[in-house]
Amino acid sequence: MEIYLDWNAGAPLRPEARRALDEFLGNGAGNPASVHRSGQRARRAFEQARAQVATLIDAAVRQIVFTSGGTEANNLAIFGAVKARNGRRKIISSMIEHSSILGPLKALEQEGFTVHRVAPDANGRIATDQVVAELDESTALVTLGLANSETGAIQDLAPLAQPVRQAGALLHVDAAQAAGRMSLSATRLGCDLMTVSGHKLGALAGIGALYIRDEHLINPLMCGGPQERGLRPGTPNILGAVTMGAAAQTVGSRLSEEINHMSYLTERLRSRLWASIPGMLLNGPLFARIPNTLNLTFPSARGESLLIALDLEGVRVSMGSACAAGAVEPSHVLLAMGRSRRQAHSSLRLSLGPQLTLEQVERAAAIIVRVWRRVSEAEAPNEEARG
Amino acid sequence: MRRGPTMKPRVVVAMSGGVDSSVAAALLREDGYDVVGVAMRLSADNAHPSAGARRACCSYEDFEDARRVAERMDFPFYVVDMRDDFARTVIDPFVGDYLAGRTPNPCLACNRWIKFDRLRRRAEALGANYIATGHYARIERSAHGRFRLRRALDRQKDQSYFLFTLEQEELARTLFPLGAMTKNEVRAKARTLGLANADKPESQEICFVSENGGSYRDFVSRHADPAKIKPGRIVDTNGAMLGLHDGIHRFTIGQRRGLGVTRPTPLYVREIRPQSAEVVVSEREALGDRGLLASKVSLTDPSRASAHAMAVEVKIRYRHPLIPATLTLMENGTAAVRFATHQPAVTPGQACVFYLGDEVLGGGIIEAPLRE
Repeated sequence: MEIYLDWNAGAPLRPEARRALDEFLGNGAGNPASVHRSGQRARRAFEQARAQVATLIDAAVRQIVFTSGGTEANNLAIFGAVKARNGRRKIISSMIEHSSILGPLKALEQEGFTVHRVAPDANGRIATDQVVAELDESTALVTLGLANSETGAIQDLAPLAQPVRQAGALLHVDAAQAAGRMSLSATRLGCDLMTVSGHKLGALAGIGALYIRDEHLINPLMCGGPQERGLRPGTPNILGAVTMGAAAQTVGSRLSEEINHMSYLTERLRSRLWASIPGMLLNGPLFARIPNTLNLTFPSARGESLLIALDLEGVRVSMGSACAAGAVEPSHVLLAMGRSRRQAHSSLRLSLGPQLTLEQVERAAAIIVRVWRRVSEAEAPNEEARG
Repeated sequence: MRRGPTMKPRVVVAMSGGVDSSVAAALLREDGYDVVGVAMRLSADNAHPSAGARRACCSYEDFEDARRVAERMDFPFYVVDMRDDFARTVIDPFVGDYLAGRTPNPCLACNRWIKFDRLRRRAEALGANYIATGHYARIERSAHGRFRLRRALDRQKDQSYFLFTLEQEELARTLFPLGAMTKNEVRAKARTLGLANADKPESQEICFVSENGGSYRDFVSRHADPAKIKPGRIVDTNGAMLGLHDGIHRFTIGQRRGLGVTRPTPLYVREIRPQSAEVVVSEREALGDRGLLASKVSLTDPSRASAHAMAVEVKIRYRHPLIPATLTLMENGTAAVRFATHQPAVTPGQACVFYLGDEVLGGGIIEAPLRE
């Protein structure tokens, strides 16, 4: 029986999202840009979804632009912001960001931009004063994740809003892993841009949103249509948006309940493993962490072997990121936190979700302990017998 | 779920994306084994679609071929990262051997350390009782419960030469599903199963060398510590200098081309002297050795070792016929092999494998020819 512990990679479709999708499909097709009644019906559903997403992050409806997902939202935020801040050639970020932030930054660096990447502390947290110290009149953008996808570390970004605005730069917050795991308010955070991903909330994959405080802050990346105020032209993914709206509404209506449930399960899993695996390490802060994520270093076992062995037992976990061919690479986040390559190679990310049960988590803990014992026994002699 | 009560044991199949390992995995799956396909990422940048390593082994395309087979045959498939182990146990010794004037066979090291040591231990970690490969060789169990490594029925494809380091413990946990098949039968089976790689061409070159289209000489030059590259003299058997060379790693015993020396009759590399960096060349007539000394000798079943000389047949290169010889096992894992007739190009660094009829008794690494 499958136990899915990889919710930071993607959550299953929520039942409420599926119902909303069925209902929408049952009413026939339609392009929200069309003038006729079918188009009007589609537009109503689409705009309702936008309102639901806006409510989840405490934003106004017109501040939400739908994208194809978190990656596109991050690209639109970063490239769109530097295009609009013409002349400013500096970007501040961190070493522990998601590849959909690191990738655009690398591309801009090759175009001649200066990118400053702040290092995290040993717990994976970013010191905001280090970011503030880097701000100057050449800074176009500060882009940081609110909750880290690999360790779950929550960054305290609210103190950045004022100094960033004073410097004339924009603040982009990637909340892809934070949404649904903590209370979110774009308004109170004071950011200019915020990324939210659909399928991490339990919507379909292929939908995401970018919060834009004021539409004049960024330039579009594509041209050729009036959709999304011209910031994201093209016929929108209305099916995806409908599921994202429903998921956002569900999450919003029971956020504290789900946070309590996930905290309980995650702490139970951590303490079970802690008791049975001597030498296990938690990567990331103990408290300032979203309630569903555990990044653990397992003594004398390769993370790769644990991941595969657990998969064969029906427990789905992850490690770092996968290369194109599907081989796992050690996490750049753990390396930036000062973990050795060996430790990074021995680490797994377990991420939980609101639909898991205590019984599943207890069973997963027992399987992980059993598999760790077998793997560490088989791999312990690895250091002798060299060719 | 996949594991029913009648499910046979779990087996990890090393998959390259080629037709042989694909059919090996498919046959085991059909036979009811709990197959887990594993492709090994062995050298630096071959796992990205842009690597451009089309002809080399274990490129991105090859991994995708293996993955498609796993999807078609419905078993799990993973790519594992073995780059560090491969560099340490295969590439470094390969470069070191060439720099020492020897001609290594990296497939031997890869089988010994990567497939039948590191991968076997990873398979244990995954709860697998067996590992399997697409090698053409057979393992049989004798009446006394001992395991015998035998040549493949398809003599053209027989790869038992590369497997002589396997001992009882490894043989007991290894499956070679193709040992009784011909290559044509394997391709036909692949077609019957609808595997997309049924007609994929065979890999010929050393996988990590050919990936950039270069030669092994260039590979060694690129990967060697420049201080260890030994230029020197090319001499004849009397010690007279015929020319200069820019590194002994560029030569192998019996080599004729690329000597940089012209004579009316062709010259061949007769000996490489790593101490003085001399490459000794001679005409063809002088080539031929009485036997050889081998080191790092291992036996597939040590209980069959004899204190006396044994009449065996040996192979001194992969693509070489069997030669009648006598084998004398000596101390410290060494052995002396005397050929029934003189043999050309006995090459230090290559393996000498001992056969008794169909059976692989064991083998060792050639240290030096015997010339008396």
